[in-house]
Amino acid sequence: MNAPLLLALGGGGFTMEPGNPLLDDYVLSLASAREPRILFLPTASGDMTAQINAFHARFGDRLCIPEHLSLFRLGDLRRPLAEIVLEQDIVYVGGGSMRNLLAIWRAHSLDKLLEQAWRAGVVLAGLSAGAMCWFEGGVTRSSGPPAPLAGLGLLEGSLTVHADGEPERLPVWLASVRDGALPGGWAVDDGVGLLFAGRRLQRVVSSRPGAGAQRVDQVAGELVRHRLAPELLGEDSSGALGGYDEDVQELRRVNRLRRGILGEGL
Amino acid sequence: MRARIPRVPQIVALGGGGFSMEQGNPLLDDYVLSLTGAKRPRVCFLPTASGDADHYVVRFYRRFSPGCEASHVSLFRRDQGTGGVEDDLATHLLSQDLIYVGGGNVVSMLGAWRAHGLDSVLRQAWRKGVVLCGPSAGSLCWFAESLSAFHGAPRRVRGLGLLPYSNCVHYDAEPARRAEYHRFVGDGMRPGYAAEDGVALHFRRTLLERVVSSRPDGCAYRVEPAPDGVVVETPLETVYLGTADAGASTGGSNEASAAKARAVMGRTAKGRSRTKASAAKPLRLPPATAIAAA
Repeated sequence: MNAPLLLALGGGGFTMEPGNPLLDDYVLSLASAREPRILFLPTASGDMTAQINAFHARFGDRLCIPEHLSLFRLGDLRRPLAEIVLEQDIVYVGGGSMRNLLAIWRAHSLDKLLEQAWRAGVVLAGLSAGAMCWFEGGVTRSSGPPAPLAGLGLLEGSLTVHADGEPERLPVWLASVRDGALPGGWAVDDGVGLLFAGRRLQRVVSSRPGAGAQRVDQVAGELVRHRLAPELLGEDSSGALGGYDEDVQELRRVNRLRRGILGEGL
Repeated sequence: MRARIPRVPQIVALGGGGFSMEQGNPLLDDYVLSLTGAKRPRVCFLPTASGDADHYVVRFYRRFSPGCEASHVSLFRRDQGTGGVEDDLATHLLSQDLIYVGGGNVVSMLGAWRAHGLDSVLRQAWRKGVVLCGPSAGSLCWFAESLSAFHGAPRRVRGLGLLPYSNCVHYDAEPARRAEYHRFVGDGMRPGYAAEDGVALHFRRTLLERVVSSRPDGCAYRVEPAPDGVVVETPLETVYLGTADAGASTGGSNEASAAKARAVMGRTAKGRSRTKASAAKPLRLPPATAIAAA
């Protein structure tokens, strides 16, 4: 089996880039299934209706089987979490409070389940809190001011997000790396994704010209920084996606209506 | 000004009901407010179990802003400056007369509370005499253990343990819960209390003081294993707040409620068939219980 894939977004995708589907299409392209099952976990936002609606708006018409999992609201199905998670091709984690995300996952033992899914080849993707959670640590604003917080540690190093969009976060991360509170790692701008194959960084992609990422390590008390130049998505990705025709879109729309997804949320 | 006399720890655990589930019926919320003894009570809402759902917060303010110093704490929106209280959460919560916990998922709520240290703050608030209350998940959380019905088979959930019993909510609205609760108590879950929608268990310190209801036919039950191992359900005398004075501490042993208790006894004698018959009925839940279901 190939190494499991994980895409960590500094920001972007359907919740932050309503008019730009490049990163989300890239997420879909990572699954080997022709019509991947993609599960959205909005836990970090408290299962905000707006996030859930944005997810279905983005993925409802695409060649995939979108579903979301709420840990706050009782859906129609009382299926065990393991069954829901392990049948997916992709699990996509939304942004919000990293502290709450981890605490709630742990309360439901979902952290172990997601690690199991990743090892079994389910593609993991996420932005912001949903990206930092996979690393040894990140910088969260869960309690107001930015502060370092330990993550699940599936991937080595630490991650900080919105490096360009939320300027107050980066200095806290740099200070944490310098004083050893966090291991070295990556600072990622909005619109940039780091693709890991297993624990190895394989590719850096972007949905916006000008956005970037950097690798930062502490060496003998000094910070050593390396810029990473992302590949801009969209220029040749229509071919990579394989494309899909109007019939498929129509089918997805009909299925969506039949499943009553339009009536979901509260 | 406030709390000149030491206040006794009090919890009002709603099987369901209150502002989120019983629009137009203020009886349970009024009862809880009356326990604070404050003219204009400081009331703080914790909507954690719903993921801090906006519409829930709005409904809270609609209900409690008139007549109370209302506030809320969001554990999800603190980074955006829309988390309600932004200062020291502990100080804020400890200065309240009433902390009202909303319904939703009790496992998610307890996880988030522990991550923010609210479990110990709430314990402190309780000891200090801040009245604690809530429906559904806002009831289950105070007990030592309860039953969660989210995602798959029901399982035991450890609560904050302020009340050394087990708890079951929506006892009438979700018939499967009754059978499951009996099974769990039979299998070693500690004995406890079950409440129907519209019924509240009022505890002083750790003792059940009174059972009150916003509905004339509401009831709560003590559920425990008998010496022979069979689980026994005993209906509790329940005071309907529509006729009784919500604020006064009448011992509850008046003739009307005694007669009602007898009537309830008669009803539960046929409990088994009643449970089966109602299992086929659609749940009579207002839309709000989509989040109020524990």
